[in-house]
Amino acid sequence: MATQSLLWNSVKKFLACGLIGLTISDRYASIVPVRGASMSPTFNPQARNFTDDYVLVEKFCLKKYEFSHGDVVVFCSPSNHKEKHIKRIIALPGDWIGTSHNSHDDVLKVPKGHCWVEGDNSASSMDSRSFGPIPLGLVKGRVTHVVWPPQRIGLVERVFPQERVSSFK
Amino acid sequence: MLPTLNLTGDVVLAEHVSHRIGKVGRGDLVLVRSPVDPRRILTKRVVGMEGDTVCFYVDPMYSQTTVVPKGHVWIQGDNTYASSDSRHFGPLPYGLIQGKVFFRVWPPDGFGTLEQ
Repeated sequence: MATQSLLWNSVKKFLACGLIGLTISDRYASIVPVRGASMSPTFNPQARNFTDDYVLVEKFCLKKYEFSHGDVVVFCSPSNHKEKHIKRIIALPGDWIGTSHNSHDDVLKVPKGHCWVEGDNSASSMDSRSFGPIPLGLVKGRVTHVVWPPQRIGLVERVFPQERVSSFK
Repeated sequence: MLPTLNLTGDVVLAEHVSHRIGKVGRGDLVLVRSPVDPRRILTKRVVGMEGDTVCFYVDPMYSQTTVVPKGHVWIQGDNTYASSDSRHFGPLPYGLIQGKVFFRVWPPDGFGTLEQ
Protein backbone atom coordinates (compact mmCIF):
# COMPACT_ATOMS: atom_id res chain seq x y z
CA MET A 1 0.00 0.00 0.00
CA ALA A 2 2.77 2.43 0.92
CA THR A 3 4.72 1.70 -2.27
CA GLN A 4 1.59 2.22 -4.41
CA SER A 5 0.99 5.73 -3.05
CA LEU A 6 4.74 6.43 -3.38
CA LEU A 7 4.60 5.35 -7.01
CA TRP A 8 1.49 7.47 -7.60
CA ASN A 9 3.19 10.50 -6.03
CA SER A 10 6.19 10.03 -8.29
CA VAL A 11 3.96 9.72 -11.36
CA LYS A 12 2.09 12.91 -10.42
CA LYS A 13 5.35 14.84 -9.96
CA PHE A 14 6.68 13.48 -13.24
CA LEU A 15 3.53 14.50 -15.11
CA ALA A 16 3.57 17.97 -13.52
CA CYS A 17 7.22 18.51 -14.49
CA GLY A 18 6.47 17.23 -17.97
CA LEU A 19 3.59 19.68 -18.44
CA ILE A 20 5.62 22.61 -17.12
CA GLY A 21 8.55 21.64 -19.35
CA LEU A 22 6.27 21.36 -22.37
CA THR A 23 4.71 24.79 -21.71
CA ILE A 24 8.10 26.46 -21.30
CA SER A 25 9.43 24.77 -24.42
CA ASP A 26 6.36 25.81 -26.40
CA ARG A 27 6.08 29.42 -25.30
CA TYR A 28 9.42 30.68 -24.02
CA ALA A 29 12.55 28.76 -24.97
CA SER A 30 13.74 25.28 -25.85
CA ILE A 31 16.95 23.45 -26.63
CA VAL A 32 17.17 21.73 -30.00
CA PRO A 33 19.86 19.71 -31.81
CA VAL A 34 21.25 21.02 -35.08
CA ARG A 35 21.44 18.36 -37.79
CA GLY A 36 23.49 18.69 -40.94
CA ALA A 37 26.27 21.00 -42.05
CA SER A 38 24.28 23.74 -43.79
CA MET A 39 25.16 26.22 -41.03
CA SER A 40 28.87 25.34 -40.86
CA PRO A 41 31.03 26.74 -39.29
CA THR A 42 28.52 28.45 -36.98
CA PHE A 43 27.00 25.08 -36.01
CA ASN A 44 28.50 21.60 -36.54
CA PRO A 45 31.81 22.88 -37.89
CA GLN A 46 33.11 19.36 -38.39
CA ALA A 47 30.95 16.68 -40.00
CA ARG A 48 30.93 14.45 -36.90
CA ASN A 49 27.74 12.42 -36.81
CA PHE A 50 27.79 11.57 -33.13
CA THR A 51 28.10 15.02 -31.61
CA ASP A 52 25.48 17.44 -32.94
CA ASP A 53 25.48 20.97 -31.63
CA TYR A 54 22.63 21.87 -29.29
CA VAL A 55 21.30 25.42 -29.37
CA LEU A 56 18.93 27.55 -27.31
CA VAL A 57 15.87 28.74 -29.25
CA GLU A 58 13.83 31.62 -27.80
CA LYS A 59 10.19 32.17 -28.66
CA PHE A 60 9.71 35.70 -27.29
CA CYS A 61 10.37 37.06 -30.79
CA LEU A 62 7.04 35.55 -31.89
CA LYS A 63 5.04 38.19 -30.02
CA LYS A 64 5.94 40.94 -32.44
CA TYR A 65 7.65 39.09 -35.32
CA GLU A 66 10.41 41.70 -35.39
CA PHE A 67 13.65 40.26 -36.68
CA SER A 68 17.02 41.76 -37.59
CA HIS A 69 19.39 41.06 -40.43
CA GLY A 70 21.64 38.19 -39.47
CA ASP A 71 19.26 36.51 -36.98
CA VAL A 72 19.47 32.72 -37.01
CA VAL A 73 15.92 31.33 -36.92
CA VAL A 74 14.07 28.01 -36.77
CA PHE A 75 11.23 27.75 -39.32
CA CYS A 76 8.84 25.15 -40.77
CA SER A 77 9.83 24.02 -44.23
CA PRO A 78 7.47 25.49 -46.87
CA SER A 79 7.34 22.13 -48.65
CA ASN A 80 6.82 19.93 -45.58
CA HIS A 81 5.32 21.44 -42.44
CA LYS A 82 6.62 18.59 -40.27
CA GLU A 83 10.27 19.49 -40.97
CA LYS A 84 12.00 22.33 -39.21
CA HIS A 85 15.07 24.06 -40.58
CA ILE A 86 17.64 26.40 -39.02
CA LYS A 87 18.99 29.17 -41.27
CA ARG A 88 20.04 32.80 -41.08
CA ILE A 89 17.79 35.71 -42.10
CA ILE A 90 19.68 37.64 -44.77
CA ALA A 91 16.96 40.01 -45.96
CA LEU A 92 13.76 41.40 -44.44
CA PRO A 93 10.49 42.60 -46.09
CA GLY A 94 11.14 45.38 -48.59
CA ASP A 95 14.85 44.63 -49.00
CA TRP A 96 16.49 44.02 -52.34
CA ILE A 97 18.66 40.88 -52.31
CA GLY A 98 21.27 39.92 -54.90
CA THR A 99 21.03 36.30 -56.01
CA SER A 100 22.93 34.34 -58.65
CA HIS A 101 20.34 32.48 -60.62
CA ASN A 102 21.57 30.29 -63.49
CA SER A 103 24.98 32.00 -63.44
CA HIS A 104 23.62 35.48 -64.09
CA ASP A 105 23.11 37.97 -61.30
CA ASP A 106 19.58 38.82 -60.31
CA VAL A 107 18.08 41.27 -57.86
CA LEU A 108 14.89 40.32 -56.05
CA LYS A 109 12.64 42.37 -53.78
CA VAL A 110 11.57 40.51 -50.65
CA PRO A 111 7.73 40.77 -50.47
CA LYS A 112 5.85 42.21 -47.49
CA GLY A 113 5.62 39.74 -44.60
CA HIS A 114 8.39 37.49 -46.01
CA CYS A 115 12.12 37.04 -45.40
CA TRP A 116 15.09 35.58 -47.25
CA VAL A 117 16.96 32.83 -45.40
CA GLU A 118 20.30 31.26 -46.22
CA GLY A 119 22.61 28.76 -44.59
CA ASP A 120 26.13 29.91 -43.67
CA ASN A 121 27.56 27.01 -45.69
CA SER A 122 26.35 28.03 -49.18
CA ALA A 123 27.77 24.91 -50.78
CA SER A 124 25.43 22.53 -48.98
CA SER A 125 22.35 24.44 -47.91
CA MET A 126 18.72 24.16 -49.08
CA ASP A 127 17.45 27.65 -48.49
CA SER A 128 15.74 30.63 -50.11
CA ARG A 129 17.99 30.25 -53.13
CA SER A 130 15.93 27.14 -53.96
CA PHE A 131 12.50 27.76 -52.42
CA GLY A 132 12.34 31.55 -52.51
CA PRO A 133 11.45 33.96 -49.69
CA ILE A 134 9.42 32.42 -46.86
CA PRO A 135 6.52 34.01 -44.95
CA LEU A 136 7.62 35.26 -41.52
CA GLY A 137 4.66 33.30 -40.08
CA LEU A 138 6.63 30.08 -40.64
CA VAL A 139 9.35 31.18 -38.20
CA LYS A 140 9.05 29.29 -34.92
CA GLY A 141 11.89 30.76 -32.88
CA ARG A 142 15.25 32.53 -32.84
CA VAL A 143 18.56 30.86 -31.99
CA THR A 144 20.45 32.86 -29.39
CA HIS A 145 23.15 30.59 -27.91
CA VAL A 146 25.05 27.39 -28.50
CA VAL A 147 24.74 25.26 -25.36
CA TRP A 148 26.60 22.07 -26.37
CA PRO A 149 29.44 21.04 -26.78
CA PRO A 150 30.88 22.83 -23.74
CA GLN A 151 33.93 24.18 -25.56
CA ARG A 152 31.69 26.05 -28.02
CA ILE A 153 29.16 27.53 -25.59
CA GLY A 154 28.48 31.14 -26.52
CA LEU A 155 26.31 33.74 -28.17
CA VAL A 156 25.30 33.29 -31.81
CA GLU A 157 26.49 36.43 -33.60
CA ARG A 158 24.41 38.43 -36.06
CA VAL A 159 26.46 38.50 -39.24
CA PHE A 160 25.27 38.67 -42.81
CA PRO A 161 26.66 39.52 -46.26
CA GLN A 162 25.89 43.24 -46.27
CA GLU A 163 27.15 43.67 -49.80
CA ARG A 164 24.27 41.55 -51.17
CA VAL A 165 21.41 43.32 -49.37
CA SER A 166 19.99 46.82 -49.88
CA SER A 167 17.32 48.15 -47.59
CA PHE A 168 15.85 51.47 -48.58
CA LYS A 169 13.60 52.57 -45.73
CA MET B 1 -16.26 35.37 -44.93
CA LEU B 2 -19.94 36.27 -45.47
CA PRO B 3 -22.38 34.60 -45.36
CA THR B 4 -20.84 31.86 -43.21
CA LEU B 5 -19.51 34.31 -40.62
CA ASN B 6 -20.70 37.85 -39.84
CA LEU B 7 -18.53 40.89 -40.46
CA THR B 8 -17.65 41.27 -36.78
CA GLY B 9 -18.70 39.95 -33.43
CA ASP B 10 -18.80 36.23 -34.08
CA VAL B 11 -17.14 34.04 -31.47
CA VAL B 12 -16.04 30.65 -32.70
CA LEU B 13 -14.35 27.59 -31.27
CA ALA B 14 -11.14 26.50 -32.94
CA GLU B 15 -9.05 23.45 -32.19
CA HIS B 16 -5.30 23.35 -32.64
CA VAL B 17 -4.80 19.60 -32.94
CA SER B 18 -6.00 18.68 -36.44
CA HIS B 19 -3.43 20.63 -38.39
CA ARG B 20 -0.57 19.02 -36.45
CA ILE B 21 -1.74 15.52 -37.35
CA GLY B 22 -2.49 16.41 -40.96
CA LYS B 23 -6.29 16.19 -40.66
CA VAL B 24 -7.02 19.47 -42.44
CA GLY B 25 -8.70 18.94 -45.80
CA ARG B 26 -10.82 20.54 -48.50
CA GLY B 27 -13.80 22.49 -47.25
CA ASP B 28 -12.43 23.08 -43.74
CA LEU B 29 -12.62 26.49 -42.13
CA VAL B 30 -9.12 27.27 -40.86
CA LEU B 31 -7.21 29.95 -38.99
CA VAL B 32 -4.09 30.92 -40.94
CA ARG B 33 -1.33 33.39 -40.25
CA SER B 34 -1.39 36.06 -42.94
CA PRO B 35 1.58 35.79 -45.34
CA VAL B 36 1.51 39.58 -45.64
CA ASP B 37 1.52 40.36 -41.90
CA PRO B 38 2.57 37.54 -39.53
CA ARG B 39 0.85 39.24 -36.59
CA ARG B 40 -2.61 38.83 -38.17
CA ILE B 41 -4.62 35.63 -38.21
CA LEU B 42 -7.18 35.16 -40.98
CA THR B 43 -10.20 32.85 -41.11
CA LYS B 44 -10.58 31.27 -44.55
CA ARG B 45 -11.71 28.04 -46.15
CA VAL B 46 -9.34 25.43 -47.61
CA VAL B 47 -10.37 24.96 -51.22
CA GLY B 48 -7.40 23.00 -52.55
CA MET B 49 -4.71 20.72 -51.09
CA GLU B 50 -1.24 19.98 -52.50
CA GLY B 51 -1.37 18.56 -55.99
CA ASP B 52 -4.84 19.93 -56.75
CA THR B 53 -5.45 22.01 -59.84
CA VAL B 54 -7.26 25.21 -58.93
CA CYS B 55 -9.16 27.32 -61.44
CA PHE B 56 -10.00 30.85 -60.36
CA TYR B 57 -11.25 34.07 -61.87
CA VAL B 58 -8.74 36.91 -61.95
CA ASP B 59 -11.44 39.17 -63.36
CA PRO B 60 -14.94 38.32 -64.66
CA MET B 61 -13.60 37.55 -68.14
CA TYR B 62 -10.30 35.81 -67.46
CA SER B 63 -9.71 32.65 -65.48
CA GLN B 64 -6.38 31.12 -64.52
CA THR B 65 -5.41 27.59 -63.55
CA THR B 66 -2.60 26.73 -61.12
CA VAL B 67 -1.40 23.56 -59.46
CA VAL B 68 -0.99 23.77 -55.69
CA PRO B 69 2.66 22.92 -54.86
CA LYS B 70 3.76 20.29 -52.34
CA GLY B 71 3.31 21.35 -48.74
CA HIS B 72 0.92 24.19 -49.65
CA VAL B 73 -2.84 24.81 -49.52
CA TRP B 74 -5.18 27.07 -51.49
CA ILE B 75 -7.48 29.12 -49.30
CA GLN B 76 -10.41 31.32 -50.24
CA GLY B 77 -12.89 33.42 -48.35
CA ASP B 78 -16.56 32.49 -48.73
CA ASN B 79 -17.33 36.05 -49.86
CA THR B 80 -15.62 35.78 -53.25
CA TYR B 81 -16.12 39.43 -54.13
CA ALA B 82 -14.54 40.94 -51.04
CA SER B 83 -11.92 38.50 -49.84
CA SER B 84 -8.16 38.80 -49.96
CA ASP B 85 -6.95 35.21 -50.24
CA SER B 86 -4.90 32.78 -52.34
CA ARG B 87 -6.25 34.43 -55.50
CA HIS B 88 -4.12 37.44 -54.50
CA PHE B 89 -1.17 36.08 -52.54
CA GLY B 90 -0.93 32.58 -54.01
CA PRO B 91 -0.91 29.17 -52.31
CA LEU B 92 -0.01 29.17 -48.62
CA PRO B 93 2.50 26.85 -46.93
CA TYR B 94 0.67 24.36 -44.70
CA GLY B 95 2.86 25.47 -41.78
CA LEU B 96 0.95 28.76 -41.62
CA ILE B 97 -2.27 27.01 -40.55
CA GLN B 98 -2.86 27.64 -36.84
CA GLY B 99 -6.12 25.76 -36.22
CA LYS B 100 -9.47 24.53 -37.51
CA VAL B 101 -12.74 26.34 -36.76
CA PHE B 102 -15.57 23.93 -36.07
CA PHE B 103 -18.23 25.60 -33.90
CA ARG B 104 -19.84 29.01 -33.44
CA VAL B 105 -20.71 30.15 -29.92
CA TRP B 106 -21.95 33.72 -30.51
CA PRO B 107 -24.34 35.20 -31.67
CA PRO B 108 -26.93 32.86 -30.14
CA ASP B 109 -28.93 32.52 -33.35
CA GLY B 110 -25.78 31.26 -35.06
CA PHE B 111 -24.96 28.75 -32.33
CA GLY B 112 -23.90 25.40 -33.76
CA THR B 113 -21.46 23.68 -36.04
CA LEU B 114 -20.30 25.52 -39.13
CA GLU B 115 -20.76 24.08 -42.62
CA GLN B 116 -17.66 22.30 -43.88
